[in-house]
Amino acid sequence: MSHLSRRSLLGAAAASLAAPALAQTAPLRLGVLTPLTGAGSFDGPRMLKAMQGVAAEVNAAGGVLGRPIELVVEDDETNPEAAVRAAHKLVDVDRVPVIMGTWASAVTTAVAPVCWESKTFLTTVSGADSITHLPHQGYLIRTQPNNELQATSHARFIVRHGAKRVFILSTQAPFTEPTVRFLTAVLTPAGVAVAGSLIYDKDKTSYRSEVDQALRAKPDLVYLNGYAPDVAVVLRDLFRAGYDGGRFTQSYALTVKSLADLPHDVTQGVITAQPSADVDSPAYAAAAKRTGVAAPDSYEAQATDWISIVALTIARAGEASGTALRDTVRKITNSNGVKVYTAVDGLAALKQGQEIKYEGASGPCVFTDIGDITDCRFRFNQAENGVFKLLEVG
Amino acid sequence: MGFADVAQLVLNGIMAGAILTAPAIGFTAIYAVLRFPNFAVASHMTVGAFAGYVVNADLHWPLLPSALVAFIVAGLVGVVSDAVALRPLRPAGLITATIASVALTIALENLVRLAFGNSLRDYDLPLERDWRFGGLRVGPQQLRDLAISAAAVLALFGVLGFTRMGKAMRAVADNPVLASLRGIDTQRIGHVVNFTAMGMAGLGGMLLGLDTSIDPLTGFRAILAVFAAAVLGGLGSIPGAVLGALAIGVAEELSQLALPPDYRSVVGFLAILLVLSFRPSGILGVRR
Repeated sequence: MSHLSRRSLLGAAAASLAAPALAQTAPLRLGVLTPLTGAGSFDGPRMLKAMQGVAAEVNAAGGVLGRPIELVVEDDETNPEAAVRAAHKLVDVDRVPVIMGTWASAVTTAVAPVCWESKTFLTTVSGADSITHLPHQGYLIRTQPNNELQATSHARFIVRHGAKRVFILSTQAPFTEPTVRFLTAVLTPAGVAVAGSLIYDKDKTSYRSEVDQALRAKPDLVYLNGYAPDVAVVLRDLFRAGYDGGRFTQSYALTVKSLADLPHDVTQGVITAQPSADVDSPAYAAAAKRTGVAAPDSYEAQATDWISIVALTIARAGEASGTALRDTVRKITNSNGVKVYTAVDGLAALKQGQEIKYEGASGPCVFTDIGDITDCRFRFNQAENGVFKLLEVG
Repeated sequence: MGFADVAQLVLNGIMAGAILTAPAIGFTAIYAVLRFPNFAVASHMTVGAFAGYVVNADLHWPLLPSALVAFIVAGLVGVVSDAVALRPLRPAGLITATIASVALTIALENLVRLAFGNSLRDYDLPLERDWRFGGLRVGPQQLRDLAISAAAVLALFGVLGFTRMGKAMRAVADNPVLASLRGIDTQRIGHVVNFTAMGMAGLGGMLLGLDTSIDPLTGFRAILAVFAAAVLGGLGSIPGAVLGALAIGVAEELSQLALPPDYRSVVGFLAILLVLSFRPSGILGVRR
């Protein structure tokens, strides 16, 4: 389907959903830039669908400032170069006040300057710490926990589960050094020794000597901070060396796919962590009902929150511009107003002149000055006979 | 770090080096006969690894026949790809042929990617705990890899030393003009060398994957070490390639006594730099 026909289709859908009273008013055009192809193509289309669900719901209830939402959708192809072209089109041709959806950190890093230069607001799921430190002048928020939130949460889990000596084995990456620092900051005061850490070369086919070095420190938990290919090799080498202690890693480093491929003996008991949607919140229940997905994941939840926050902020500001979004967004997310869990409920409360606080499906959605979330829940799974069992969400 | 730890590093290095031996021989053999560094050895390692994978994991063939398939398929791909992509360009000179080999390796690697995707694949072999003796540990699979590699190298030495074909190959390596004047079909020898060399590369690729996992980048990741081994041993010298591979394997492991593990790859570069600076002919190479 070409972009043009998809857009006209969306336009038609928006128009048909809009109440008759809205039919004459200009639609509120919001930009969506998710990966529909490339490495992010598993998450991008589902994020788009979650946003379309919220838009339809808002339009059925009368739109924002009396205008129906129309999503202008582009594909970032999980590719910075394609993403920048698409972002320019959204900004210069469609003149959207906001772009929602960049996924890969490299893509967000490339698109963010296009946004802040044109005073367009950007919402993203990219996790690299460096992103919120870009000079974005407030035109960016991310709902994904940054490095510090992730490592701190992992360390607290490790403390809770009684490990005494942790060894950190990492690949060479931008998050390597900060992760060691954030882990140590929580583990050491809690009486858990960081017995050592080493950075390995990701291109080696065997990590026997590295594993020997780690095991000399006699850890009872090995924290594996790498990507799927190297973590698979390290897990095998740990098994071969006769190590039977705990192993902890990110969910993207031991995926369902690699769990199915690796011998069960190798993965037995490995704990994985991933950012979790706020599964107990009313916002999450509403998102599940709206999307028709039994258990929406963190990405669907975050996309739900972006469009809800954007709709509410525009209604609160009385104006649909990137600068209004920048200046007003925290009056929706960081306020002490009455708690709302969906865009429709929030819009109704705003109409009655109430101050509101949007609580999201992905978490509380409270943002720091540089656009990071302050809190997030994490989901911890454990591999058992080749499948993941949920340990806890905390 | 005590004596046992250093001994363990040396042992790990010998095992790693033994796996590099076969592709290093392939690289150096092509250099000896065809007179250019053929970096397509990288993708032929990958092709061999995947060929062995298909018969081992999908058709459940045992290890040895799978290794033979890895050798034959990589060898055949080597003959065809050379005839199509490299031979027409060789008259244009060494640099042209070398660049073409890099292009060829990228093309073949992406063909493998097209067919199998990017995900990691494992051979259908039982994973065993290591054996321990006297404070050292070694994996049963490592010993099998060592045996296969050693058998392949000995067989190759046998062919080169005691058969007419081997003599012809050495003659072409020594002096192609003289060899062709003596009635040796140099083009046919070129095919045989390509088949054998890329077969060795394919076998090495599979051995590399047996201990870990394979993906389309399997060969590419190892090519620096293979190149370093061939240069260190002396480009064109097959016994040199064996020595070079073992030396690079051990040096990479021992470097951990002085360097952080993520600097392990520096050993290969350093070896190339030192050899080219001080003894360009390598350990056993002959200056041409």
